[in-house]
Amino acid sequence: MRRWLGLLLLLPALLAAPRMALAQATAVAPPSLSVELSTRRIEVTTAFSGAEILVFGATERLIGPLGDEVLVLVTGPETAMMVREKTNVLGFWINGDAARFNRVPSYWALASTRPVPAMLDRVERADLRLALDQLPLVQLGSQGAEFRQALAGLQQEAGLWVDRERPIEVSGGRLFHARLPLPATVAHGIYQVQVMLVRDRRVVARQELRLDVVRTGSAAWVADIARNQPVLYGIACIVMAGLAGWFGSVVFRRN
Amino acid sequence: MQVYLPIAEMSVDALLLLGIGFGVGWLSGLFGVGGGFLLTPLLILIGIPAPVAVGSGANQTLGASVSGLIAQWRRGNVDMRMGFVLIIGGFFGSLAGVQLFAWLRRAGQVDLAVAIFYVVVLGSVGALMVRESLTAILRRKRARPARLHEHLWMHGLPFKMRFRKSRLYISVIPPLGIGFAIGVLSAIMGVGGGFMLVPAMIYLLGMPTAVVIGTSLFQVVFVTANVTFLQAIQVGSVDIVLTLLLLAGGVAGAQFGAAMGTKLRGEEMRALLGALVLAVALSLLWDLLRVPEALFVIGPVP
Repeated sequence: MRRWLGLLLLLPALLAAPRMALAQATAVAPPSLSVELSTRRIEVTTAFSGAEILVFGATERLIGPLGDEVLVLVTGPETAMMVREKTNVLGFWINGDAARFNRVPSYWALASTRPVPAMLDRVERADLRLALDQLPLVQLGSQGAEFRQALAGLQQEAGLWVDRERPIEVSGGRLFHARLPLPATVAHGIYQVQVMLVRDRRVVARQELRLDVVRTGSAAWVADIARNQPVLYGIACIVMAGLAGWFGSVVFRRN
Repeated sequence: MQVYLPIAEMSVDALLLLGIGFGVGWLSGLFGVGGGFLLTPLLILIGIPAPVAVGSGANQTLGASVSGLIAQWRRGNVDMRMGFVLIIGGFFGSLAGVQLFAWLRRAGQVDLAVAIFYVVVLGSVGALMVRESLTAILRRKRARPARLHEHLWMHGLPFKMRFRKSRLYISVIPPLGIGFAIGVLSAIMGVGGGFMLVPAMIYLLGMPTAVVIGTSLFQVVFVTANVTFLQAIQVGSVDIVLTLLLLAGGVAGAQFGAAMGTKLRGEEMRALLGALVLAVALSLLWDLLRVPEALFVIGPVP
């Protein structure tokens, strides 16, 4: 009986709780941008043949030229690369001048709801490095714009730099998603996914997500042994090749 | 069917690799050459990075040669004594070759040097073989008996040794020298050297063609094991997944090739191998001479 009484006394408080939570939620402004990735980890196994980064999210206001606009920029781990120019010497085409580029993003892709030049001013675009020709590359060795152009051209051909702005699809006015292709030759490491909300030609909100591209399974195992135990790996390669040869001569014996 | 290569860090069609392995393995069994001079350019052609192509090519050549060697061994076509003499020469030759390679790298232009080596060595070896074997075929048609082998001045040098399988009693200096030269060339070109060894044993040492193939494979096994090991510890560019896929096709091909080789006459076989070597030399020369599709190339920093 006393327990029932206690419960009765508690009842008003219990009823009030959800109302209080609701009041708190309306007091804090809803986020102007919320974003998520379909996966935070892309596994490179021996059957890997490329993947897709799916970025999705919602904006506070309706997406469109008069409301919110969204930009997605994905960059892969930085590496250094050599660009060599072929020159003709006495009729032979040989490697001539070379330029070394440091801090080259191994992957770079941009997606937006509208062409970026229409969304942002030139200065702002340069600040945010929203174009391939604005990447902060360090060029050593031969100077000259043609080396940089060649690098961009060849990386795009390989599908590692995606320059044509891939449209972001919008559904229901405020929900958006973008698919960015990762070719099979992607480097493994940490990828940065930046999503920016543009309003009145200014970036008003920004969210950064991390995506890991990791080698797993036997691919990772082989790569680890080759790097950490090269002597053992070398001997294993010799033995395995020899055994495969012996096995073949037994299986396919022709006499 | 795509498969990801962990060291090359790219994915390729497994069936394509099996096919390349079979074709090269078939030639390897037929001619007694490792096939590295064909395999390495082919792998680079399908987009495998050059260091991985050289390292894994050597490793695949090892497996294919073991397969071919066993097939030849069963037929009693391996001159062990000659093989060991060649290996001793080859060991010192590859030490010297590695030094020469390092010097070329310091001077820049190692790519060009390797390409020119390929064109000059393959071109002259191929042309000589085709010429000689065609003359032999024509002579056979005229039904004139050929001598067992020519006695060259160098066979009479001191330190004579009897090579029973090869039916030779010659000085050890020529085979040691040949082994040394092949060692130097294979270190620079990243191949086993069988395609150079086969004609050298036939024309310079005067060994019977049947024994040449088995003995050459014997030497190639040791050279490629050495190259695989050095590549694995120094460059880290041997891709075992790539190797095993190539081998799966290669070991089958090598057995078929070895079986077919017994049906071919020596001269015809030499003419075919010569034509093949010459064709590779000409296509590499063409690559150097034609206007490249892309005037720029990118690659990782060495």
